[in-house]
Amino acid sequence: MSLCGKKRSMNGVRLKSVLAGTILGLTFAAGTRVEGQVTPAVSKQALQAKIEYCKTCHGVSGQGFRGAFPMPRLAGQQPEYLENQLRAFIERRRKNPIMFNVAHVLNPAMLDALAAHFKDLDPKPLGGAPTKLVDAGKKIYQDGVPGKDIPACASCHGPEAKGDAAFPRLAGQLHDYISRKLVNWSKERGQDPANPDTSAIMEPIAHSLDESQVAAVAAYLSYLN
Amino acid sequence: MRSADAIGNPRLRQHREPTALQCPRNLGEIMRKTIDLRATSFAAVLIIIFSPAGRAQNGAAAKSSQLQAKIAYCKTCHGLSGQGYQGYLPMPRLAGQQPIYLENQLRAFIERRRTNPVMFNVAHVLSPTMVTALATHFKELNPGPLGGAPRELLATGKTIYEDGLPEANVPACAACHGMEGKGEGEIPRLAGQFYPYTLKVLTNWTKERGQGPTQDPSAVMKPTAHNLTASQTAAVAAYVSYLK
Repeated sequence: MSLCGKKRSMNGVRLKSVLAGTILGLTFAAGTRVEGQVTPAVSKQALQAKIEYCKTCHGVSGQGFRGAFPMPRLAGQQPEYLENQLRAFIERRRKNPIMFNVAHVLNPAMLDALAAHFKDLDPKPLGGAPTKLVDAGKKIYQDGVPGKDIPACASCHGPEAKGDAAFPRLAGQLHDYISRKLVNWSKERGQDPANPDTSAIMEPIAHSLDESQVAAVAAYLSYLN
Repeated sequence: MRSADAIGNPRLRQHREPTALQCPRNLGEIMRKTIDLRATSFAAVLIIIFSPAGRAQNGAAAKSSQLQAKIAYCKTCHGLSGQGYQGYLPMPRLAGQQPIYLENQLRAFIERRRTNPVMFNVAHVLSPTMVTALATHFKELNPGPLGGAPRELLATGKTIYEDGLPEANVPACAACHGMEGKGEGEIPRLAGQFYPYTLKVLTNWTKERGQGPTQDPSAVMKPTAHNLTASQTAAVAAYVSYLK
Protein backbone atom coordinates (compact mmCIF):
# COMPACT_ATOMS: atom_id res chain seq x y z
CA MET A 1 0.00 0.00 0.00
CA SER A 2 2.49 2.54 1.16
CA LEU A 3 4.87 1.54 -1.62
CA CYS A 4 2.10 1.99 -4.17
CA GLY A 5 1.19 5.37 -2.74
CA LYS A 6 4.79 6.52 -2.98
CA LYS A 7 5.06 5.36 -6.53
CA ARG A 8 1.89 7.11 -7.54
CA SER A 9 2.97 10.39 -5.98
CA MET A 10 6.37 10.15 -7.70
CA ASN A 11 4.63 9.61 -10.98
CA GLY A 12 2.46 12.60 -10.19
CA VAL A 13 5.52 14.76 -9.60
CA ARG A 14 7.15 13.55 -12.78
CA LEU A 15 4.01 14.21 -14.79
CA LYS A 16 3.67 17.67 -13.29
CA SER A 17 7.23 18.62 -14.16
CA VAL A 18 6.83 17.27 -17.68
CA LEU A 19 3.65 19.31 -18.06
CA ALA A 20 5.32 22.38 -16.65
CA GLY A 21 8.20 21.87 -19.04
CA THR A 22 5.83 21.57 -21.97
CA ILE A 23 3.93 24.67 -20.96
CA LEU A 24 7.18 26.58 -20.52
CA GLY A 25 8.36 25.33 -23.87
CA LEU A 26 5.13 26.38 -25.55
CA THR A 27 5.15 29.77 -23.87
CA PHE A 28 8.71 30.51 -24.91
CA ALA A 29 8.36 29.14 -28.39
CA ALA A 30 5.29 31.28 -28.92
CA GLY A 31 7.03 34.24 -27.32
CA THR A 32 10.02 34.10 -29.55
CA ARG A 33 7.87 33.51 -32.59
CA VAL A 34 5.89 36.62 -31.82
CA GLU A 35 8.72 39.02 -30.91
CA GLY A 36 11.71 37.27 -32.39
CA GLN A 37 12.34 37.86 -36.03
CA VAL A 38 16.05 37.38 -35.27
CA THR A 39 16.87 34.44 -33.00
CA PRO A 40 14.18 31.87 -32.40
CA ALA A 41 16.53 29.04 -31.37
CA VAL A 42 19.30 30.83 -29.49
CA SER A 43 19.07 31.60 -25.80
CA LYS A 44 20.11 35.08 -24.72
CA GLN A 45 22.69 33.57 -22.42
CA ALA A 46 24.26 31.37 -25.10
CA LEU A 47 24.39 34.29 -27.51
CA GLN A 48 26.00 36.55 -24.92
CA ALA A 49 28.65 33.94 -24.14
CA LYS A 50 29.41 33.50 -27.83
CA ILE A 51 29.64 37.26 -28.39
CA GLU A 52 32.15 37.56 -25.53
CA TYR A 53 34.10 34.72 -27.09
CA CYS A 54 34.26 36.48 -30.48
CA LYS A 55 35.30 39.72 -28.81
CA THR A 56 38.23 38.09 -27.04
CA CYS A 57 40.07 38.27 -30.34
CA HIS A 58 38.04 40.74 -32.42
CA GLY A 59 38.07 43.55 -29.85
CA VAL A 60 35.68 44.37 -27.03
CA SER A 61 33.58 46.49 -29.40
CA GLY A 62 34.27 44.36 -32.45
CA GLN A 63 36.64 47.07 -33.68
CA GLY A 64 39.40 44.56 -34.44
CA PHE A 65 42.48 43.74 -32.40
CA ARG A 66 46.16 43.09 -32.91
CA GLY A 67 47.08 39.77 -31.34
CA ALA A 68 49.59 37.33 -32.80
CA PHE A 69 48.20 38.64 -36.09
CA PRO A 70 45.66 41.33 -36.96
CA MET A 71 42.11 40.20 -36.15
CA PRO A 72 39.57 41.86 -38.44
CA ARG A 73 37.00 44.40 -37.39
CA LEU A 74 33.54 42.81 -37.33
CA ALA A 75 31.63 45.89 -36.21
CA GLY A 76 29.24 47.11 -38.86
CA GLN A 77 30.06 44.20 -41.14
CA GLN A 78 27.42 43.03 -43.63
CA PRO A 79 25.61 39.98 -42.16
CA GLU A 80 25.49 38.17 -45.49
CA TYR A 81 29.25 38.56 -45.89
CA LEU A 82 29.90 37.37 -42.32
CA GLU A 83 27.71 34.32 -42.79
CA ASN A 84 29.35 33.45 -46.07
CA GLN A 85 32.82 33.75 -44.50
CA LEU A 86 31.88 31.55 -41.54
CA ARG A 87 30.54 28.97 -43.97
CA ALA A 88 33.69 29.35 -46.07
CA PHE A 89 35.82 28.47 -43.03
CA ILE A 90 33.70 25.39 -42.37
CA GLU A 91 33.73 24.28 -46.00
CA ARG A 92 37.45 25.03 -46.27
CA ARG A 93 36.83 27.47 -49.08
CA ARG A 94 38.71 29.93 -46.90
CA LYS A 95 41.81 28.63 -45.17
CA ASN A 96 42.20 29.49 -41.51
CA PRO A 97 42.66 26.72 -38.92
CA ILE A 98 41.63 28.89 -35.98
CA MET A 99 38.46 30.14 -37.62
CA PHE A 100 37.61 26.65 -38.84
CA ASN A 101 37.49 25.54 -35.22
CA VAL A 102 35.49 28.56 -34.23
CA ALA A 103 32.98 28.35 -37.06
CA HIS A 104 32.17 24.67 -37.28
CA VAL A 105 30.35 24.61 -33.93
CA LEU A 106 28.02 27.49 -34.82
CA ASN A 107 24.47 26.54 -35.74
CA PRO A 108 22.65 28.63 -38.36
CA ALA A 109 20.50 30.42 -35.77
CA MET A 110 23.57 31.41 -33.74
CA LEU A 111 25.27 32.56 -36.88
CA ASP A 112 22.32 34.81 -37.76
CA ALA A 113 22.24 36.21 -34.26
CA LEU A 114 25.98 36.95 -34.21
CA ALA A 115 25.91 38.58 -37.63
CA ALA A 116 23.01 40.79 -36.57
CA HIS A 117 24.80 41.75 -33.34
CA PHE A 118 27.99 42.88 -35.06
CA LYS A 119 26.09 44.77 -37.77
CA ASP A 120 24.70 47.10 -35.11
CA LEU A 121 28.05 47.98 -33.52
CA ASP A 122 29.75 51.18 -34.58
CA PRO A 123 32.99 51.85 -32.67
CA LYS A 124 35.67 54.19 -34.00
CA PRO A 125 38.33 52.68 -36.27
CA LEU A 126 41.31 51.17 -34.45
CA GLY A 127 43.78 53.24 -36.48
CA GLY A 128 47.52 52.77 -36.69
CA ALA A 129 48.06 53.10 -40.44
CA PRO A 130 50.61 55.54 -41.91
CA THR A 131 48.51 58.64 -42.64
CA LYS A 132 50.83 59.75 -45.45
CA LEU A 133 49.38 56.95 -47.61
CA VAL A 134 45.77 58.03 -47.18
CA ASP A 135 45.58 60.38 -50.17
CA ALA A 136 47.02 57.86 -52.61
CA GLY A 137 44.69 55.22 -51.17
CA LYS A 138 41.65 57.44 -51.55
CA LYS A 139 42.44 57.95 -55.24
CA ILE A 140 42.73 54.22 -55.87
CA TYR A 141 39.57 53.56 -53.90
CA GLN A 142 37.50 56.14 -55.75
CA ASP A 143 39.00 56.04 -59.25
CA GLY A 144 40.81 52.72 -59.51
CA VAL A 145 43.99 52.40 -61.58
CA PRO A 146 42.62 52.11 -65.12
CA GLY A 147 46.07 51.55 -66.66
CA LYS A 148 46.42 48.40 -64.57
CA ASP A 149 42.84 47.18 -64.94
CA ILE A 150 42.08 47.98 -61.34
CA PRO A 151 38.49 49.14 -60.99
CA ALA A 152 37.38 51.71 -58.44
CA CYS A 153 36.85 49.81 -55.17
CA ALA A 154 33.92 52.17 -54.53
CA SER A 155 31.98 50.75 -57.45
CA CYS A 156 31.20 47.60 -55.42
CA HIS A 157 32.03 48.45 -51.81
CA GLY A 158 30.26 51.83 -52.02
CA PRO A 159 31.58 55.40 -51.79
CA GLU A 160 31.64 55.15 -47.98
CA ALA A 161 32.96 51.58 -48.04
CA LYS A 162 30.00 50.29 -46.06
CA GLY A 163 29.57 47.32 -48.41
CA ASP A 164 26.27 45.68 -49.23
CA ALA A 165 25.08 42.10 -48.73
CA ALA A 166 27.80 39.83 -50.14
CA PHE A 167 30.17 42.80 -50.56
CA PRO A 168 31.97 43.38 -47.28
CA ARG A 169 32.21 46.64 -45.41
CA LEU A 170 35.79 47.90 -45.55
CA ALA A 171 35.37 51.15 -43.61
CA GLY A 172 37.46 51.09 -40.43
CA GLN A 173 38.99 47.72 -41.19
CA LEU A 174 42.52 47.18 -39.81
CA HIS A 175 45.03 48.25 -42.43
CA ASP A 176 47.39 45.36 -41.65
CA TYR A 177 44.49 42.90 -41.98
CA ILE A 178 43.45 44.31 -45.39
CA SER A 179 47.03 44.21 -46.61
CA ARG A 180 47.47 40.58 -45.57
CA LYS A 181 44.20 39.54 -47.21
CA LEU A 182 44.93 41.30 -50.49
CA VAL A 183 48.50 39.98 -50.64
CA ASN A 184 47.47 36.39 -49.83
CA TRP A 185 44.15 36.43 -51.66
CA SER A 186 44.68 33.46 -53.94
CA LYS A 187 46.24 31.41 -51.12
CA GLU A 188 43.42 31.94 -48.62
CA ARG A 189 40.20 32.45 -50.54
CA GLY A 190 38.37 30.29 -53.03
CA GLN A 191 40.31 27.19 -52.00
CA ASP A 192 37.73 24.63 -53.12
CA PRO A 193 37.95 24.32 -56.93
CA ALA A 194 34.80 22.16 -56.93
CA ASN A 195 32.90 24.92 -55.19
CA PRO A 196 33.93 28.31 -56.60
CA ASP A 197 32.67 31.27 -54.58
CA THR A 198 32.27 35.05 -54.71
CA SER A 199 35.91 35.57 -53.70
CA ALA A 200 36.80 34.91 -57.35
CA ILE A 201 35.64 38.46 -58.14
CA MET A 202 38.49 39.98 -56.16
CA GLU A 203 41.23 37.68 -57.36
CA PRO A 204 42.43 39.57 -60.45
CA ILE A 205 42.24 42.88 -58.58
CA ALA A 206 44.23 41.61 -55.62
CA HIS A 207 46.74 40.23 -58.08
CA SER A 208 47.08 43.48 -60.06
CA LEU A 209 47.60 45.79 -57.09
CA ASP A 210 51.27 46.21 -56.23
CA GLU A 211 52.56 46.31 -52.68
CA SER A 212 52.51 50.09 -52.30
CA GLN A 213 49.02 50.36 -53.78
CA VAL A 214 47.79 47.71 -51.37
CA ALA A 215 49.30 49.60 -48.45
CA ALA A 216 47.77 52.88 -49.64
CA VAL A 217 44.24 51.63 -50.12
CA ALA A 218 44.41 49.72 -46.83
CA ALA A 219 45.54 52.85 -44.99
CA TYR A 220 42.74 54.91 -46.53
CA LEU A 221 40.04 52.42 -45.57
CA SER A 222 41.33 51.94 -42.04
CA TYR A 223 40.46 55.54 -41.16
CA LEU A 224 36.94 55.60 -42.61
CA ASN A 225 34.20 55.79 -40.02
CA MET B 1 80.67 71.51 -19.65
CA ARG B 2 84.40 71.60 -20.28
CA SER B 3 84.81 75.38 -20.49
CA ALA B 4 82.63 75.81 -17.45
CA ASP B 5 84.91 73.44 -15.58
CA ALA B 6 87.98 75.37 -16.67
CA ILE B 7 86.52 78.69 -15.58
CA GLY B 8 85.27 77.25 -12.36
CA ASN B 9 88.64 75.71 -11.43
CA PRO B 10 90.24 78.02 -8.82
CA ARG B 11 93.70 76.46 -9.19
CA LEU B 12 93.75 77.28 -12.85
CA ARG B 13 92.77 80.88 -12.29
CA GLN B 14 95.30 81.48 -9.48
CA HIS B 15 98.23 80.25 -11.54
CA ARG B 16 97.29 81.97 -14.74
CA GLU B 17 96.66 85.43 -13.39
CA PRO B 18 100.07 86.07 -11.80
CA THR B 19 101.84 84.67 -14.86
CA ALA B 20 100.08 87.03 -17.14
CA LEU B 21 100.50 90.16 -14.98
CA GLN B 22 103.98 89.89 -13.37
CA CYS B 23 107.07 90.84 -15.27
CA PRO B 24 109.76 88.14 -14.76
CA ARG B 25 113.14 89.47 -13.40
CA ASN B 26 115.50 86.93 -14.89
CA LEU B 27 115.79 83.92 -17.11
CA GLY B 28 115.67 81.49 -14.21
CA GLU B 29 112.47 83.00 -13.04
CA ILE B 30 111.12 82.96 -16.59
CA MET B 31 112.00 79.29 -16.95
CA ARG B 32 110.57 78.43 -13.55
CA LYS B 33 107.38 80.26 -14.44
CA THR B 34 107.24 78.58 -17.86
CA ILE B 35 107.69 75.12 -16.36
CA ASP B 36 105.18 75.95 -13.69
CA LEU B 37 102.80 77.21 -16.35
CA ARG B 38 103.36 74.12 -18.48
CA ALA B 39 102.74 71.82 -15.58
CA THR B 40 99.69 73.80 -14.62
CA SER B 41 98.45 73.79 -18.20
CA PHE B 42 99.09 70.07 -18.45
CA ALA B 43 97.19 69.47 -15.23
CA ALA B 44 94.43 71.74 -16.44
CA VAL B 45 94.19 69.86 -19.71
CA LEU B 46 94.09 66.58 -17.82
CA ILE B 47 91.39 67.90 -15.55
CA ILE B 48 89.42 69.21 -18.50
CA ILE B 49 89.69 65.90 -20.32
CA PHE B 50 88.93 63.66 -17.42
CA SER B 51 86.53 65.53 -15.22
CA PRO B 52 83.43 65.51 -17.47
CA ALA B 53 84.13 61.93 -18.44
CA GLY B 54 84.66 61.04 -14.82
CA ARG B 55 81.46 62.69 -13.80
CA ALA B 56 79.50 60.94 -16.57
CA GLN B 57 81.04 57.64 -15.54
CA ASN B 58 80.13 58.18 -11.90
CA GLY B 59 76.56 59.07 -12.93
CA ALA B 60 76.17 55.98 -15.09
CA ALA B 61 77.76 53.85 -12.41
CA ALA B 62 75.36 55.16 -9.79
CA LYS B 63 72.38 54.53 -12.06
CA SER B 64 73.69 51.15 -13.13
CA SER B 65 74.39 50.16 -9.52
CA GLN B 66 70.84 51.17 -8.57
CA LEU B 67 69.49 49.13 -11.45
CA GLN B 68 71.70 46.17 -10.52
CA ALA B 69 70.49 46.39 -6.92
CA LYS B 70 66.89 46.48 -8.07
CA ILE B 71 67.40 43.56 -10.46
CA ALA B 72 68.95 41.54 -7.65
CA TYR B 73 65.94 42.46 -5.52
CA CYS B 74 63.47 41.23 -8.19
CA LYS B 75 65.44 38.03 -8.59
CA THR B 76 65.22 37.26 -4.90
CA CYS B 77 61.71 36.05 -5.60
CA HIS B 78 61.49 35.67 -9.39
CA GLY B 79 64.50 33.36 -9.76
CA LEU B 80 68.19 34.06 -10.35
CA SER B 81 67.66 34.17 -14.12
CA GLY B 82 64.12 35.51 -13.90
CA GLN B 83 62.85 31.99 -14.65
CA GLY B 84 60.30 32.00 -11.83
CA TYR B 85 60.51 30.40 -8.44
CA GLN B 86 58.43 28.44 -5.97
CA GLY B 87 58.49 30.33 -2.71
CA TYR B 88 55.56 30.49 -0.34
CA LEU B 89 53.65 31.44 -3.50
CA PRO B 90 54.49 30.57 -7.08
CA MET B 91 56.47 33.56 -8.39
CA PRO B 92 56.04 34.15 -12.12
CA ARG B 93 58.79 33.93 -14.70
CA LEU B 94 59.78 37.41 -15.87
CA ALA B 95 62.48 36.32 -18.32
CA GLY B 96 61.59 37.18 -21.91
CA GLN B 97 58.39 38.91 -20.83
CA GLN B 98 56.98 41.67 -23.04
CA PRO B 99 58.04 45.07 -21.61
CA ILE B 100 54.66 46.72 -22.28
CA TYR B 101 52.95 43.93 -20.37
CA LEU B 102 55.38 44.16 -17.45
CA GLU B 103 54.97 47.92 -17.25
CA ASN B 104 51.19 47.63 -17.35
CA GLN B 105 51.22 45.03 -14.56
CA LEU B 106 53.50 47.15 -12.36
CA ARG B 107 51.16 50.08 -12.89
CA ALA B 108 48.18 47.80 -12.20
CA PHE B 109 49.67 46.88 -8.80
CA ILE B 110 50.19 50.55 -7.97
CA GLU B 111 46.71 51.56 -9.12
CA ARG B 112 45.19 48.53 -7.35
CA ARG B 113 43.76 47.26 -10.61
CA ARG B 114 45.57 44.04 -9.79
CA THR B 115 45.26 42.92 -6.20
CA ASN B 116 48.56 41.83 -4.70
CA PRO B 117 49.78 43.40 -1.46
CA VAL B 118 53.38 42.19 -1.91
CA MET B 119 53.69 43.54 -5.43
CA PHE B 120 51.96 46.79 -4.50
CA ASN B 121 54.76 47.49 -2.05
CA VAL B 122 57.39 46.51 -4.59
CA ALA B 123 55.92 48.51 -7.45
CA HIS B 124 54.95 51.82 -5.89
CA VAL B 125 58.55 52.86 -5.20
CA LEU B 126 59.72 52.33 -8.80
CA SER B 127 60.33 55.44 -10.91
CA PRO B 128 59.13 55.28 -14.53
CA THR B 129 62.75 55.10 -15.79
CA MET B 130 63.48 52.23 -13.44
CA VAL B 131 60.36 50.39 -14.61
CA THR B 132 61.50 50.76 -18.23
CA ALA B 133 65.06 49.66 -17.39
CA LEU B 134 63.82 46.60 -15.51
CA ALA B 135 61.36 45.65 -18.24
CA THR B 136 64.14 45.86 -20.83
CA HIS B 137 66.48 43.80 -18.67
CA PHE B 138 64.03 40.94 -18.21
CA LYS B 139 63.06 40.95 -21.88
CA GLU B 140 66.60 39.95 -22.80
CA LEU B 141 66.91 36.99 -20.43
CA ASN B 142 66.31 33.54 -21.83
CA PRO B 143 66.78 30.75 -19.28
CA GLY B 144 65.19 27.35 -19.83
CA PRO B 145 61.73 26.77 -18.38
CA LEU B 146 61.58 25.83 -14.71
CA GLY B 147 59.53 22.69 -15.50
CA GLY B 148 57.72 20.54 -12.97
CA ALA B 149 54.29 20.33 -14.61
CA PRO B 150 52.59 16.94 -15.14
CA ARG B 151 53.59 15.79 -18.63
CA GLU B 152 50.47 13.67 -19.14
CA LEU B 153 48.50 16.93 -19.56
CA LEU B 154 50.60 18.25 -22.43
CA ALA B 155 48.64 16.79 -25.36
CA THR B 156 45.32 18.21 -24.12
CA GLY B 157 47.00 21.49 -23.29
CA LYS B 158 48.45 21.76 -26.78
CA THR B 159 45.04 21.22 -28.37
CA ILE B 160 43.46 23.88 -26.21
CA TYR B 161 46.34 26.26 -26.83
CA GLU B 162 46.35 25.86 -30.60
CA ASP B 163 42.68 25.18 -31.40
CA GLY B 164 40.69 26.40 -28.44
CA LEU B 165 37.48 24.74 -27.27
CA PRO B 166 34.86 26.24 -29.57
CA GLU B 167 31.92 24.51 -27.87
CA ALA B 168 33.00 25.99 -24.55
CA ASN B 169 33.71 29.43 -26.05
CA VAL B 170 37.41 29.14 -25.33
CA PRO B 171 39.38 30.72 -28.18
CA ALA B 172 42.74 29.39 -29.31
CA CYS B 173 45.30 30.95 -26.94
CA ALA B 174 47.67 31.06 -29.92
CA ALA B 175 45.49 33.59 -31.72
CA CYS B 176 46.71 36.31 -29.38
CA HIS B 177 49.72 34.88 -27.54
CA GLY B 178 51.25 33.40 -30.71
CA MET B 179 51.91 29.77 -31.63
CA GLU B 180 55.17 29.89 -29.66
CA GLY B 181 53.62 31.69 -26.70
CA LYS B 182 55.98 34.66 -26.97
CA GLY B 183 53.27 37.32 -26.70
CA GLU B 184 53.44 40.78 -28.25
CA GLY B 185 53.06 44.29 -26.85
CA GLU B 186 50.45 44.22 -24.10
CA ILE B 187 49.85 40.49 -24.69
CA PRO B 188 52.11 38.58 -22.30
CA ARG B 189 54.60 35.87 -23.12
CA LEU B 190 53.38 32.54 -21.72
CA ALA B 191 56.25 30.36 -22.94
CA GLY B 192 58.03 28.82 -19.98
CA GLN B 193 55.69 30.42 -17.46
CA PHE B 194 55.75 28.63 -14.14
CA TYR B 195 52.96 26.02 -14.09
CA PRO B 196 51.49 26.69 -10.63
CA TYR B 197 51.51 30.43 -11.35
CA THR B 198 49.50 30.15 -14.60
CA LEU B 199 47.13 27.78 -12.86
CA LYS B 200 46.56 30.16 -9.96
CA VAL B 201 46.19 33.27 -12.11
CA LEU B 202 43.64 31.73 -14.47
CA THR B 203 41.67 30.28 -11.58
CA ASN B 204 41.53 33.60 -9.71
CA TRP B 205 41.29 35.90 -12.71
CA THR B 206 38.21 37.86 -11.72
CA LYS B 207 39.38 38.19 -8.12
CA GLU B 208 42.84 39.52 -8.98
CA ARG B 209 42.63 41.39 -12.26
CA GLY B 210 40.59 44.33 -13.46
CA GLN B 211 39.85 45.48 -9.91
CA GLY B 212 39.91 49.20 -10.71
CA PRO B 213 36.95 51.41 -11.53
CA THR B 214 37.75 51.36 -15.27
CA GLN B 215 38.18 48.48 -17.66
CA ASP B 216 41.77 47.43 -18.41
CA PRO B 217 43.24 44.93 -20.88
CA SER B 218 42.65 42.09 -18.40
CA ALA B 219 38.95 42.21 -19.37
CA VAL B 220 39.87 40.39 -22.58
CA MET B 221 40.83 37.25 -20.66
CA LYS B 222 37.87 37.26 -18.29
CA PRO B 223 35.40 35.11 -20.25
CA THR B 224 38.13 32.70 -21.31
CA ALA B 225 39.43 32.21 -17.77
CA HIS B 226 35.84 31.65 -16.67
CA ASN B 227 35.02 29.17 -19.44
CA LEU B 228 38.02 26.89 -18.83
CA THR B 229 37.34 24.05 -16.40
CA ALA B 230 39.86 23.22 -13.68
CA SER B 231 41.32 20.33 -15.65
CA GLN B 232 41.49 22.34 -18.88
CA THR B 233 43.24 25.16 -17.02
CA ALA B 234 45.77 22.69 -15.66
CA ALA B 235 46.37 21.21 -19.11
CA VAL B 236 47.00 24.52 -20.83
CA ALA B 237 49.16 25.77 -17.93
CA ALA B 238 51.24 22.59 -18.18
CA TYR B 239 51.62 22.98 -21.95
CA VAL B 240 52.85 26.57 -21.89
CA SER B 241 55.20 25.84 -18.98
CA TYR B 242 57.38 23.69 -21.24
CA LEU B 243 57.46 26.07 -24.22
CA LYS B 244 60.86 27.66 -24.77
